[in-house]
Amino acid sequence: MSGALLVAVLRNPAEAADLVPAEWNALIAAARAERLIGTLAVLLQDIAVPTSISPILTDARGEAEREKRQALWEADRAAAAMASCGVPVILLKGTAYAAAGLRAGEGRFIGDLDILVPRDRLADVEAAILGAGWEWVKPDPYDDDYYRRWMHELPPMIHKERDRMIDIHHTVLPLTARQTPDAAAMIANAIAIGHGLHMLSAEDRICHAAAHLIADGDLAGGLRNLWDIHCLCGEAAAVDEGFFLSLFERAAAHGLTDPVWRALRLAHRLYATPVTAYRSPISVDYSLRGGDRFFIARLLARDGWGRESRKLLRFAFFVRSHWLRMPPMMLARHLWTKWRKGHRPA
Amino acid sequence: MKHRIMLRIGPASFRIGSAWRQPIADLARLYAAYPQPVDGVADFTVRLEPTRPWRRFIRPSVFIGGDHMLADAAPMALAHGLLAAEMGMNMQMALGWRRHVLLHASCVEKDGKALVMTGESGSGKSTLAAQLGERGWRLMGDEFALLEPETGGVFAFPRLVSLKNQAIGVMQREAPEGRFGPLMRDTPKGDIRHLAPGAEAVARMDEGAMPALLLFPRFGFAPDIREVGQGEAFMRLTQASTNYVTLGEAGFSALTRFVTGVPARAIDFDSGETAIGMIDRLWAELA
Amino acid sequence: MAESRYRAEQGADIIVQPLDDVTLIYHRRSGQTHIVVSPVPEILAALAEGEADVPAILTRLARDYDLDDPGEARAGIAAHLDELVSLGLVTRI
Repeated sequence: MSGALLVAVLRNPAEAADLVPAEWNALIAAARAERLIGTLAVLLQDIAVPTSISPILTDARGEAEREKRQALWEADRAAAAMASCGVPVILLKGTAYAAAGLRAGEGRFIGDLDILVPRDRLADVEAAILGAGWEWVKPDPYDDDYYRRWMHELPPMIHKERDRMIDIHHTVLPLTARQTPDAAAMIANAIAIGHGLHMLSAEDRICHAAAHLIADGDLAGGLRNLWDIHCLCGEAAAVDEGFFLSLFERAAAHGLTDPVWRALRLAHRLYATPVTAYRSPISVDYSLRGGDRFFIARLLARDGWGRESRKLLRFAFFVRSHWLRMPPMMLARHLWTKWRKGHRPA
Repeated sequence: MKHRIMLRIGPASFRIGSAWRQPIADLARLYAAYPQPVDGVADFTVRLEPTRPWRRFIRPSVFIGGDHMLADAAPMALAHGLLAAEMGMNMQMALGWRRHVLLHASCVEKDGKALVMTGESGSGKSTLAAQLGERGWRLMGDEFALLEPETGGVFAFPRLVSLKNQAIGVMQREAPEGRFGPLMRDTPKGDIRHLAPGAEAVARMDEGAMPALLLFPRFGFAPDIREVGQGEAFMRLTQASTNYVTLGEAGFSALTRFVTGVPARAIDFDSGETAIGMIDRLWAELA
Repeated sequence: MAESRYRAEQGADIIVQPLDDVTLIYHRRSGQTHIVVSPVPEILAALAEGEADVPAILTRLARDYDLDDPGEARAGIAAHLDELVSLGLVTRI
């Protein structure tokens, strides 16, 4: 299974020195499929690799540099657009890591620009962004209504000249999800990172990433998201001895104790994330618990040709991800509407 | 995957896996003279897989996957499996290649200098390159020309020439039957037959050349030759490149160097013989 | 109302490449290529001397070019500056 191989090399890049060609082919295919090729390339920068592998890794590092430059420019453009309405630009996910120079941003694939804004300022932000050249991606009224009623973000918008998407979040998880993290508190605790940009606090960054990994997603691309959490934890814990205590405190305040704890257990098991166990004031350890093994099997479901294996398990997670976000009747209605239009959870 | 092959085309190497035997057997025959990837490690993986597990047996339908994919790529009939494999390789190059500026152009070489021809499909650039390749020029590629930012040189990507409709008959008169692939009727692009490049094109695939002439051919119009300004040439080359934006400054420098150093002409023609006459004249005059 | 002042992207962020018929501008921060014609390269060159408002840009341009109708030139410069601001090549300060 190449998912396991990828994880092993990310955890200990020196292992790459012993790979045979068939393993290299599987590793590269899995890393590309998981969008971790840039991260892998950065980690292997100082490791001796076969001559045929160097150009592949050099390309991936170059591509990641470009991704980063483009993401920072999009953030700059959003800040320019939103300057008039006075709402601070709080970056989420990849763009935040890149803008703040965090380890999680090194080599990371970024994609869309994600920002978090206060729910009561949504209309102002929407107007400012639409006035600066972004436009709605889908003119479909069902999808639009679905987003506005149930989701945690506006329907996606794309810039008509630069062809880049922006996702404007007003809360952390869909409004139908079981957990309701406190987005207002996250906004209040956001920190400035220069050039008119902000990001979440160290604890909230992990709460946000864990919420999306465990509570929201179908775990597609989960290894990458878990790698983010691994890097965020390592960096924060290195400068703050009591970091995991404050992390669990924040997680509890957001109602995200379970997702955060599970994310830490998975990261610790797969990436050897240095976590701290506690007996008091709270009791936390990181040995695997019920259900974790299914998550791990799902995360590592990738064969030597970069294909997702274990189709049934994947389907279970697809239904599960909708189940978590929506009450059952709503789920049935949503799937029905999607299927009538020919969408299938392949 | 059950059936597989590895091969190298110019600077790029591929690992192709298939759920079916036939596409791999066709590739093995037509690419027999091509080298293997260095160290057995490929730049790209291509997969030809069933759209659903049972579709491998009943009404087989090929889904083209790989490292780089288009989400909405329509599946192909198994009878067109060779075409699917070629499209899969093209897709990896178009979406994933970073070491050169990838120009959607055909390219031939003579005396160490390259003629680059670009235009939309149907412009005749592919057939012209294939014909020139049988008439004293070295075929460097019928689909992609690879422009190296560091040197300004053009490198070859001599994969199978994809002949469409009337071009099939044209080339059957020029090249021996043994170099042709199966005739595939009624593909999404019409009838298609692949032609393996000649022995010299394969043997010298690693040799680059400095670009000496850029042409924008257009088939089906009264013969005409028009000068093309640098600005227009630049714009048309960026449109003909799948990775210009991705390469950033390196792409910008390579293309500005190209358009300021290489003369450009648009040529209209109504037959291959007319076009080849025009090319010979322009080459003597400008290259 | 006070005149808006403008600042061009720093020289290190911009590559200007004149061709025989148009001028190319490569903007490193955005990775975008812009194809422009006169008077855009001239306006950018005038702004490269330092931040300025429209009258000051006009004065700088008038040193090197013959501007026959200052009113029209002024409106033209303002319109081009708006475009350059929206492309991110110029910042309104």
